Amino acid sequence: MSEPTRPLPLRVTTAGDDADRAVLARISNGELNALDELYERYKTMAYSIAYRITDDASLAEDVVQDAYLGVWRNAARYIEGRGSVKTWLLSIVHHRAIDAIRRRRPTTELPERDDVPPATLTLPDVWGEVAANLDAETVRTALSALTDVQREAIELAYFGGLTQVEIAEQTSTPLGTVKSRMRLGLLAMRRALTGEAEPSIGAGESDRP
Amino acid sequence: MSDLRRPADLTCDEVRELAGAFVLGALREEDAAAVRAHLDTCPDAHAEILALAEMLPVLAASVPPVEPSAGLRDRLIAAAAADLEARAAPAPAPTVPSSSMGAVTPKAESIEGGRSRRPWSVPAWALRVAAVVAIVVLGGWNLLLQGQLGDAQAYERQVANVLAVAAKQGSLTVVMTPGSAPATGLAAIDAGGGMTLAMRDLAKPSGTAVYEAWMIAPKAAPVPLGEMSIAGDGSAYLQVGGVPATPGLVVALTREPGPGATTPTLPIVSSGTATASS
Repeated sequence: MSEPTRPLPLRVTTAGDDADRAVLARISNGELNALDELYERYKTMAYSIAYRITDDASLAEDVVQDAYLGVWRNAARYIEGRGSVKTWLLSIVHHRAIDAIRRRRPTTELPERDDVPPATLTLPDVWGEVAANLDAETVRTALSALTDVQREAIELAYFGGLTQVEIAEQTSTPLGTVKSRMRLGLLAMRRALTGEAEPSIGAGESDRP
Repeated sequence: MSDLRRPADLTCDEVRELAGAFVLGALREEDAAAVRAHLDTCPDAHAEILALAEMLPVLAASVPPVEPSAGLRDRLIAAAAADLEARAAPAPAPTVPSSSMGAVTPKAESIEGGRSRRPWSVPAWALRVAAVVAIVVLGGWNLLLQGQLGDAQAYERQVANVLAVAAKQGSLTVVMTPGSAPATGLAAIDAGGGMTLAMRDLAKPSGTAVYEAWMIAPKAAPVPLGEMSIAGDGSAYLQVGGVPATPGLVVALTREPGPGATTPTLPIVSSGTATASS
């Protein structure tokens, strides 16, 4: 790496956010054209995520349709402070895709998660315009900060829908180590993007329980 | 059993330790709930949770982009229109409990809608009409954008004919979604076997080639219904009899090298399935 990576504008409200909110307001009035607009805007991102998780074109389309219908039905109750519309939509897509593949695995012991909002929905905005601003090089930089085992743990969780216990079993790794790999991996990505050391967050950890 | 001893009473250190698994959704629900409970009451803002969660878009951006099929949009819009119609629908038939008409409940969980749960019950005719209305509205809108007002009116007239059939008691509707070509359309089959089919966005066939409509009943050979001649705007209209109003019947459109085909030539240009009514 040459220059230290400039900090990401991780939480910026942009014209895109405002436009999304305007579209959402129209959706809450039952305007089909507005739903069509929101669909066009994020269909590729939504479908790509769903397809990456499900590896099944038809299931992925079901997931995306369900997620958009959720937005359609609940736009009026959407709370602005919760984050961008994109965060909301893509979190639902991710959540539903994971649900779909968990149902496909009959051995997975999991509660019915339909009634539980995804973790990211309980957090402030994590998507904002970040994903849109990320170029391929930035993404590569972040991912290359991961060790192989960190990447494995993160991908099994985020794209595979496995719980930390399942990841520990599947990779024959102690649970504490799996926890650390996920946490330290995400921290490493963040450091690669921001160039911050962030000792308050990452201090005193190793890849051991 | 939980992998935490006392999930309801996490310490700040335990929450930090679980932060990665939490944001990645890798905690079982009881443990995730314990983390949320802690975050709700803890005086520490636990900024690390958000800091880690901000990496989720980066993970998502690493996914290779894939386009959904064009049919997805049509299905979504039709479903949304049906939902809209359901919300606006008048009092349901007496057999439907009135409580099920509450289109949305204020429960937080329902922010996602639901695949398996249907918080409403809709007369089948409302669904049919809603699907038709969606196509009329959006079809007209898209064409208007293209400055093709005259053509849009032609298509709308065709769709109005379909709508008239769809509104009859015992009718089925067929939403035609794109196959090998981006063509879409709508058909209605009445109880007497009369079918009207309106298509748009069809490319003009070259030479002697024609568009042929087929009906395909389950476990039966495709039966030709007739040729569709394409108007200048790419729309086409067909009205035939002898089509059984059977849910599950597939209506398909193919491009044939010439008139009079007895077996369809693949690929299918556009197709749809007859949807059951009440």
